[in-house]
Amino acid sequence: MDIKKDILLRVYVLYFIMCLLGIAIVYKTFQIQVIEGDKWRQQAANLTTDYKNIDAIRGNIYAADGSLLATSIPMYDVHFDANLEYLTDDIFYSNIDSLCFRLSNLFQDKSEKQYRRDLITARREGSRYYLIKRNVNYNQLNELKSFPICRLGRYRGGFIYAQKNKRKKPFQLLASRTIGYDREGVRPVGLEGAYRQYLRGVGGKRLMQKISGGVWKPINDVDEIEAQDGSDIITTIDINIQDVAENALAAQLILNDADHGCVVLMEVETGEIKAIANLKRSESGGYYEGYNYAVGESTEPGSTFKLPVLIAALEDGYVDLDDSVDTEDGTTQYYDRVMRDSHIGGYGKISLKEAFEKSSNVGVSKIITAAYAKNPQKFVDRLYKMNLNEPLGLDIAGEGKPFIKKPRDKDWSGTTLPWMSIGYEVKQTPLQILTFYNAVANGGRMVKPIFIKKIVKRGKVHTSFKTVVINESICSRSTIEKAKIMLESVIETGTARNLRNDTYKIAGKTGTVQIANEKYGYKYKGKYSYQASFVGYFPADKPKYSCIVVVNAPSNDVYYGNLVAGPIFKELADKVYASTIEIHSDMVDAPIISWALTETGSATIPYVKYGYQEDLKQVLDFLNIPADYQSPNSRWVVTLSGDSQIKVQLRKLDEEIKKGVVPNVLGMSAKDAVYLLENAGMKVSIYGGGMIVKQSVAPGSRINKGLAIELHLS
Amino acid sequence: MERLGTYLRGDKVIWLVVFMLSIFSVLAVYSSTGTLAYKYQAGNTEYYLLKHFAIMVVGLVLMYGAHLVKYTYYSRLSQLLIWVAVPLLIITLLMGTHINEASRWLTLPVVGISFQTSDLAKLALIMYLARLLSKKQNQIKDFKTAFLPILIPVVLVCALILPANFSTAALLFLTSLFLMFIGRVKVKYLLLLIATGITILSLFITIVMFTPSQGRVATWKSRIENFVNDDNTDNYQVEQSKIAIAKGGIINFDPGGSTQRNFLPHPYSDFIYAIIIEEYGLLGGAFVLLLYFILMFRTIRIVSKSPGTFATLLAMGCCFSLVFQALINMAVTVNLIPVTGLALPLVSMGGTSILFTSIAIGIILSVGRSVEKETRNVKTSKLRYALS
Repeated sequence: MDIKKDILLRVYVLYFIMCLLGIAIVYKTFQIQVIEGDKWRQQAANLTTDYKNIDAIRGNIYAADGSLLATSIPMYDVHFDANLEYLTDDIFYSNIDSLCFRLSNLFQDKSEKQYRRDLITARREGSRYYLIKRNVNYNQLNELKSFPICRLGRYRGGFIYAQKNKRKKPFQLLASRTIGYDREGVRPVGLEGAYRQYLRGVGGKRLMQKISGGVWKPINDVDEIEAQDGSDIITTIDINIQDVAENALAAQLILNDADHGCVVLMEVETGEIKAIANLKRSESGGYYEGYNYAVGESTEPGSTFKLPVLIAALEDGYVDLDDSVDTEDGTTQYYDRVMRDSHIGGYGKISLKEAFEKSSNVGVSKIITAAYAKNPQKFVDRLYKMNLNEPLGLDIAGEGKPFIKKPRDKDWSGTTLPWMSIGYEVKQTPLQILTFYNAVANGGRMVKPIFIKKIVKRGKVHTSFKTVVINESICSRSTIEKAKIMLESVIETGTARNLRNDTYKIAGKTGTVQIANEKYGYKYKGKYSYQASFVGYFPADKPKYSCIVVVNAPSNDVYYGNLVAGPIFKELADKVYASTIEIHSDMVDAPIISWALTETGSATIPYVKYGYQEDLKQVLDFLNIPADYQSPNSRWVVTLSGDSQIKVQLRKLDEEIKKGVVPNVLGMSAKDAVYLLENAGMKVSIYGGGMIVKQSVAPGSRINKGLAIELHLS
Repeated sequence: MERLGTYLRGDKVIWLVVFMLSIFSVLAVYSSTGTLAYKYQAGNTEYYLLKHFAIMVVGLVLMYGAHLVKYTYYSRLSQLLIWVAVPLLIITLLMGTHINEASRWLTLPVVGISFQTSDLAKLALIMYLARLLSKKQNQIKDFKTAFLPILIPVVLVCALILPANFSTAALLFLTSLFLMFIGRVKVKYLLLLIATGITILSLFITIVMFTPSQGRVATWKSRIENFVNDDNTDNYQVEQSKIAIAKGGIINFDPGGSTQRNFLPHPYSDFIYAIIIEEYGLLGGAFVLLLYFILMFRTIRIVSKSPGTFATLLAMGCCFSLVFQALINMAVTVNLIPVTGLALPLVSMGGTSILFTSIAIGIILSVGRSVEKETRNVKTSKLRYALS
């Protein structure tokens, strides 16, 4: 046979075989499509795409000044797949030492050896989801990703990171219970709970597709349903006042070894809560924000309740401030029970006003029984008219219910009325009592305490919260004036004289009450348990803020309201007064220069610290102090106080720093000196207060970066 | 077109087939590199398109160049190439770049381009085999003087490729076998060789199954196990490929509409045929298959007119290795045979493969060009006779 023909024949044979293969391929395709088609298409539908939830970012909670009270930050739980195929013994064991060293360094929780032991155990056991660390923050995570093995990534190194959003309170303890929380599976509390529907936002959905390797990628550039981030909430909390309240309360609770306590400061006119602190003793003896006592704890208020009681009698016209009452020897008998004053021996015959300011139980109860014994219903009705039986209707959950007994109640007895008059057999929460006193301060207008100023959605105000009036006028104008006189006299001549000061006037009422424990009654372990409180407002002549302090179960034998609760009130009031210029009424009318005149009889020119000319000028101008500005263009100046004016002269501080030498800061204020020196690269430590009298590095010395300098002030 | 025709010598239909395949290639590669682009190029999907397009243009230039060379030169060139390819294979085996733990790639010093040496070796072996077979046509039925000398380079090259790339080695071995068959080697010897081959293969499989799973062995092992056990739950690739095929339906036209590209590993190379079926249906897939058959048919047409044995074997060898690989790739896609990891020639993305395939087609065209020339000469001489 011809070679060429033979070859061609073989080529055709081969072509035939190939054609068979081709037909087989087409047939198999057809088979997959038509015969098995449904099965595969079904699988495709299950596998390919899915709507994944996109979490909305929860809104922030801010203090009134914009300080962040609560915010969400991403946190990560890090797990390790110790049984990953790609993670060979070779890779694992050659990297484990340096990995553990760095893990131990980063988290500082376990030693290098401990990490090593745990990881090797996890690998031996074939754990596929071994927990390395919970709540790793973003920066730590980034660092972690550079570690050996971790840097191989999820699919080769086996480190798995799961993101979650963690709620953080930058000010930690401050108002933390009032800010509250809203966590999965726990009943939400505080503002987080009250405004959860605003804070939460609306989750979105995104169509995602699975890529090989279990990674999901979004199909479209935009989310199918955009997540709507939660709204922000601006609270009424003043973070500075809150800070003082929390610290003052903590200090006093520690001092008295008390079980718990709370402080609330409210703006009289608006009802805005500026500070609310609740502290509870922990097992270990420290104090923490564990329960919102101010809102939730309904107890017998004791003597602070004498105000509404006497207002009722005054309003009903039974008595007046000057009516006298016989307090006998400090005890009196109602049926089988003896009522006692805390002041042993009694006050004899005193006026109603005195009975109130001295907090005489005998006096007040006698006044009330004289007035209402025949018609106790009238007394209760009057209290009801002043809304004392109604809850405040707060947004924050868990408000304690107030309780005022009615004559037709089964347990109403002959002793109920006198004991009610001194604040027993009724229940009020601290916030309810405060609301009542606030109404008195507000000229009779009872406003609801509010915690929220506004809800802000995407930078725009969504809802503004206005003051809510509970009762336009709880009683007549004249009764209010009488109540105010009584409250002022408590501080002037009554039980809270320790709170008196010359700068501004406080009005208020102390309260000391034996508290009934649910389990043990009034006596526990042979001892009475007390609740000390002080509630009032300031400045008394033009009330701006009202405040209540309640301290429960002080256990160091000091339990009087004025001694336990009073100091907290005073400290807070001082701080607020000092930082609220608009309530310093007398200052605006009378410049300091006239005060200087009256003090010494002739116009003395005060001594002025050296410093920043512009600030200096502003202060001197405001106080009308004559000054001679001899170098109007220089930044820093020295002052010379003469008989009739202050000479303000140039001090070359900038120039010296430019030359690289330490300037002379003697005579300056700490504020200006620190600014100047630290900007020049020095490290400043300050001792004392007042004016700089000594500097540790002599003027004219060279400035080195980081040069430490001590300033002594006096 | 007329002008173009004068430049593109050789079989015009083959040129057309090449253009059609290139169009499919660009469409399918662009569609299936989405995942890759998402992973490595920050979603810049044009990156792979442009890269692929550039390589195809270079391929066409090489094809054009190769078809201008007179085919007889390839006989001598093959001697040189086989002496280049074998040492290169050894070097690759010893120090090549690892991709999927297989040393298949060699980075050329100076130029810094990495390429798969087996592609070069494949072409070199086919050319060299065509030369040997044609030289020994007179004593081709003899075992010692013909069969053995022909067999030695085949075994050598395949053995060197085998450790790194089992499927390419097997494919090349089979291609060589068919080429020997066309080259009139005794069928008895070939059957003997197949028997030996199967023995070695089973030996190889046995060794693999008893070797601890590591590196390439693990990959082979799992592939063999999966096919033998028909354990489809584990055989993710096949499953995904079938889903793609099923989704395509008989008739479909949905360029870029594949979703299975996100599930299939290497949708742009090993499983590009599945993407083509998913987007263009059974008819589209069959059309691509048909294009390869047209290529083979036209090559047979050329060789049936060709002047010599070497030309026939050279063209058939180049064509067959290409078409056979294409059919194997498609057979894997539709799960006729186990997963091998062979690219679809001229369609899959992948630099070296496209370039060497282009050269192979250029060689077929070169043979075709000389056939055309001869027929034209015959025609003109006949015309001369008639005129005189």
